[in-house]
Amino acid sequence: MIKIQKINSVIEASSLCVDINTPPILKTLNFQVKKGEVYALLGGNGAGKSTTLKTFLGFNIPTSGNAKIDDQEVTEALDTTREKCAYLPESATLYPHLTARENIEYFLSLANIRKSQDDINQAFQKVALQQDAWDRHMQTYSKGMRQKTAIALALLREAPIFLLDEPTSGLDPVAIDEFNHLVRELALSGATILMVTHDVYGACQVADRIGLLRNGELVGEFDAPENGRIDTEEVHRAFAQKESA
Amino acid sequence: MNLSAFSTAYTIAKDEWRYWLRSKIAITVLIIGLLLTLSSVIVTSINMLELNHDRHDLQNAAEQTFVEQPDRHPHRMVHYGHYAFRLPSPLATLDPGVDAYTGNSVFLEGHRQNSAMFADQRQGTALTKLGSLSPAFIVQVLVPLLLILIGYSSVSRERESQTLTFILSQGTSIFVLIAGKALALISLIGLILLPLILSGLFTIGNGENPIVVASFLLGYAFYLIIWALMIILFSTALSKNSESFTALTFVWILFCIAMPRIASTTASTTVPSAGKLETDFTVIAELRKLGDGHNANDPAFAKFKASLLAQYNVDTVEDLPINFRGAVASRSEAELTTVLNKFAEKRMDEELSQTQVSRNFGWLSPMVAIKTLSMISAGTSIETHHRFMRETEKLRFDFVQSLNKVHVEQLNYQDDINRNLNEKSSKQARVDSANWQVLNDFTFTPDSPSTRLQRSVSSYLQLLVWIIVLVGFIQLTGRRAQ
Repeated sequence: MIKIQKINSVIEASSLCVDINTPPILKTLNFQVKKGEVYALLGGNGAGKSTTLKTFLGFNIPTSGNAKIDDQEVTEALDTTREKCAYLPESATLYPHLTARENIEYFLSLANIRKSQDDINQAFQKVALQQDAWDRHMQTYSKGMRQKTAIALALLREAPIFLLDEPTSGLDPVAIDEFNHLVRELALSGATILMVTHDVYGACQVADRIGLLRNGELVGEFDAPENGRIDTEEVHRAFAQKESA
Repeated sequence: MNLSAFSTAYTIAKDEWRYWLRSKIAITVLIIGLLLTLSSVIVTSINMLELNHDRHDLQNAAEQTFVEQPDRHPHRMVHYGHYAFRLPSPLATLDPGVDAYTGNSVFLEGHRQNSAMFADQRQGTALTKLGSLSPAFIVQVLVPLLLILIGYSSVSRERESQTLTFILSQGTSIFVLIAGKALALISLIGLILLPLILSGLFTIGNGENPIVVASFLLGYAFYLIIWALMIILFSTALSKNSESFTALTFVWILFCIAMPRIASTTASTTVPSAGKLETDFTVIAELRKLGDGHNANDPAFAKFKASLLAQYNVDTVEDLPINFRGAVASRSEAELTTVLNKFAEKRMDEELSQTQVSRNFGWLSPMVAIKTLSMISAGTSIETHHRFMRETEKLRFDFVQSLNKVHVEQLNYQDDINRNLNEKSSKQARVDSANWQVLNDFTFTPDSPSTRLQRSVSSYLQLLVWIIVLVGFIQLTGRRAQ
């Protein structure tokens, strides 16, 4: 079982506006992610999903409004907020000249986290990365294998907040199921998860809430019923409707 | 930077080294850099030691040959002449400086001020005039290029492969990343400088002042740190490896190839100096006015003759208690030397002014700054060369006048004017060879440590300003990248 720091982590966007180009990418975006919750931002290409994540990582500066992590304005406490977040990019770009293990060790040491070889092996097993690849240079890895390594790193960081950008991109169906299971397990252990995706089915499988993002605005939200999952068809209909509007 | 940030920077530096060691290009460049520095240190040291030994022997031989001359007419000995050799400072093994162009020995004779001779670059063929592969040249010009080849992608590589976002998202500050990359490059500099440091220690063993050696090595460390910072700056500011490489190559060409030439062209334009031929004609015209010292009847010496006759209260030069021809030769030499010195000082002033203009380009190119600092510390700068020329001129004047004194006091005037009548009269017009012991022991000592350090201050300032400005730019660029 992965241990998560028990702190009151909340992700909050209030009237968030990010204006990198014209028209603005994010326009008065409002949503909150509570502690232990999985929130999926669902949207098509160019909806502003990745921009939202990067704004919470401090790579984009809000033009107006707030992007807060754990009640702190991201831009005001950049290093602290980044330390609290485990970020999984859409296409995990790790170092090809290093093995998966060396990559993990390096990135953990950057975050000043010490882990035993056993912990690293367990993380590899948890993300179902085949054992013969653990000590192989990553230049031989497929996209899915790189993604699994990045997920293993995110797990080992034991961060209270996970920011996942299209996390299942490049994974095979079995790996996607395993990943979804992992996300639920993390949420149960108290982690706060914000994931952005255009995969309606995947979002409905794991999310407690789904926000529909279109042209930088939240156009709808869906909550999971008590002890149940969000209705895929309902979300799909809304998604298709909004996209065609 | 706190301890945790330093530890992270150290981790990044270690990883950079791992990347270099696993990259064939980086490791090849690193080995080439090390071999080049090491081989040039060994070759130049052996060469300089041999040269030093030769110059020492030649100085002794020249003195020996002079004093072993048989009885002669003293003025023949004035024209026989003598050589003065400059023994380089131990640090000159690392930077021969202007010595390679100005020469290291002077032929001293009466009525002439000769230039220094035996300059490596003057003796070389056209192909070797580009500059010898001295340790100084390698560190000043080639090592920055090797550093660029190894480090141009330090940060841009992370951005191009999108690992930068991933690193920053781990909570690592861009400044810690930059510090780590810089630390790796600085440790690489330490490795490349190792042969230079070892040979610096060797020069201390050969009598060089330890503070001067430390200043010399510190200057080079500053210079290469400037290049490391420059590499980090461009690698951080530009998003692509190719852009970073192109920009850094351009900067290298500008600073190491173009700027020193621009500096010397600007110097010769702003402080124009007459060409050798033009100066020679002017000097000859001035000297003609003084009269021919070999001809005691030259009208130019009529006033001098009258004053001598009056001084000794006699009517003819034959009645003088001294040799009139010797007195004319001595007076002529003194007047001629005053004129020659006037021109020599003017030329040296011009050279110094030109050098100063050129050295100010150290504010625009760190290579010019280190070149100046290196030559000054090694005692191979133009100032040292000028001192050598002044000291040898004093030696020349003293020895010529000592022989003229012998001429005045020990050779009878009648014997002197009859010297060409027959063999007997020729022998009569000779003085004892014991008089040839007029040579002062000549040993050229390098500039004192305090002089060298004092002269290096402005170059140090230039290097420090470069470091401060680059750190400032890196901070600005880093803030943008954060």
